[in-house]
Amino acid sequence: MRTGLGYAGLFSALLLAPWLITWLGDPFWLSILTEIVIWSCFAASINFLFGYVGLLSFGQALYFGFGMYGVALGITELHLSFWPAFFLGPLSATVIAFLTGILAVRLTWHYFAIITVVFSLIMYFLALTFKSLTGGDDGINFSLPDIALGGSYKVSLTNATTQYFFMLIVVALCFWLIRIVMASAFGRSLIAIRDNDVRASLIGIHVYRLRLAAFVIAGFLAGVSGTLFALFGRYASASYMFYHVSGEGVVWAIVGGIGTILGPAIGTGIFILIREIVSSHWQHYALIVGAFAICIVIFAPEGIVGLWKKYVLKRGA
Amino acid sequence: MNQTIVALAINGIVFGLIVALIALGLSIIFGLLDIINLSHGDFFMVGTVLTYTTLTTLGLFWPALLIAPLIGFALGVLVQYSIIQRIKNNAALSIVATFGLSMIIQEVVRMTFGAAPKRIMSPIQGTFGLFGIEYEWYRIFAAVASIIAIVAFFIFLKKTKLGTWMRAVRHDRDTATAMGIPTQHVYLFTFGIGFAMAALGGVIAAPITTVDFRTGVDILPFCFMAVIIGGLGNLPGTVAAAVLLAFLEGVISGFATPTIARIFSLVLMSGVLLVRPQGLFKGLTK
Repeated sequence: MRTGLGYAGLFSALLLAPWLITWLGDPFWLSILTEIVIWSCFAASINFLFGYVGLLSFGQALYFGFGMYGVALGITELHLSFWPAFFLGPLSATVIAFLTGILAVRLTWHYFAIITVVFSLIMYFLALTFKSLTGGDDGINFSLPDIALGGSYKVSLTNATTQYFFMLIVVALCFWLIRIVMASAFGRSLIAIRDNDVRASLIGIHVYRLRLAAFVIAGFLAGVSGTLFALFGRYASASYMFYHVSGEGVVWAIVGGIGTILGPAIGTGIFILIREIVSSHWQHYALIVGAFAICIVIFAPEGIVGLWKKYVLKRGA
Repeated sequence: MNQTIVALAINGIVFGLIVALIALGLSIIFGLLDIINLSHGDFFMVGTVLTYTTLTTLGLFWPALLIAPLIGFALGVLVQYSIIQRIKNNAALSIVATFGLSMIIQEVVRMTFGAAPKRIMSPIQGTFGLFGIEYEWYRIFAAVASIIAIVAFFIFLKKTKLGTWMRAVRHDRDTATAMGIPTQHVYLFTFGIGFAMAALGGVIAAPITTVDFRTGVDILPFCFMAVIIGGLGNLPGTVAAAVLLAFLEGVISGFATPTIARIFSLVLMSGVLLVRPQGLFKGLTK
């Protein structure tokens, strides 16, 4: 009941955000909030694998990149209209997640972390090699087609508020999907695998198949966030496939609180806010970000959500 | 063409030996403490930067061979004492902590040293004839210096009391503690040695690469590959894998772009991971 109220409160705050931000002054913060919403989905993808299945992926940037290129190339090369291009992004990420997942989920722990990095590096270097198609590190730009919403009614993401709501709805659907998955028998089997894969296989859970399914879902989530980010920035670049992007996502998810629904979003929000607030005053903001990450793991190893549960909820109960 | 390939292949072996030195440092931290150290490449970078600083302030290259590893050791001990010890060697948390550390190191270097990549003159000038090509003496020195450091490390591990303690703690932490080995001190020392080796690799590599605050990011995956292909915890395997990978990349870059060569070694790496996750050399050494 309480958590339900919490979600409702958070969601209404997010719904009112465009007007709150305009009322407070600087519309710049709306684009920052949009960015947080988009990257939350990326952190959620990492959390889904690590928090619920126990697989630490350092290669989610690969699927983020495929989402980006799916939509960008769909518009520039295939001349698709908005919706087909929009679905091409997550679709290509999901397909490539399935293909790489077949091999990757045969491994666990350190080996899994390394092979996901290796796969993402292979694709990163391939993207650099096919520079004529991908634009390499410089990337490719595209202009946004309008979104057809049935009949002759059209909206455009060039309006910052429309763009924000579009991203918010898509990401909210993704978080809702995660909740549904985790509440299902499939989700509980994933938790069983995370806690003890041998015991899980002994009670008849097909560990490999379920891990693969989870890997594909995580690839889809990363693909969605890549797609949204490409639409947001109107460009796609190979640099987003580099392992550093994956690493940042891992940090966001762990700092927010691994294995919780909202933790990744909170971690992402805090890191992007720190970056934006500090970088406008001090160019060496990376020092603050790094120090913050270290302080969190020392003083709040359960992440920010863990800290919240420990101090706020306990006191209330 | 043939001569170019010979040069590239030898360059590969030289670079592989330097990487082996860095990867050994990574491997002992990984194996002993179960820590995934994402800041390891940055200590290599710190080594190159300290070399540049030594060269510009003292006008000499050679003192860097001593200064950089000492500073690396001190920083390693400091990091273990102030950060890693507090998170109780938890692997997931260590990733976040060392990622944060990596950001801090890179930013500090960018603040003090500047963002522009720099090159330094090799302290040993001159070339000699080798299979019909003119080869730089410095690269030969780099290979010999790396081999000496690697051999010294193995002797240290096998012959000294501290080295034996390190192997004991790695083998069975609880028993080692029960036998009276000061585990916490061994941890501190391991981190120090690991970072010192990365910094030493940086000094040796400095005249043949660029000095740039981002070089650590490029070398880190390569070191992890050597550690994994060689087999986790298999130190001679790590050395062999590093040299083999760099040699292959060198040879292939004679036929294709360095990017294609890198892709090839990555594909090879995933093949090894999938077929022999215990490492390429399991059962061949020891």
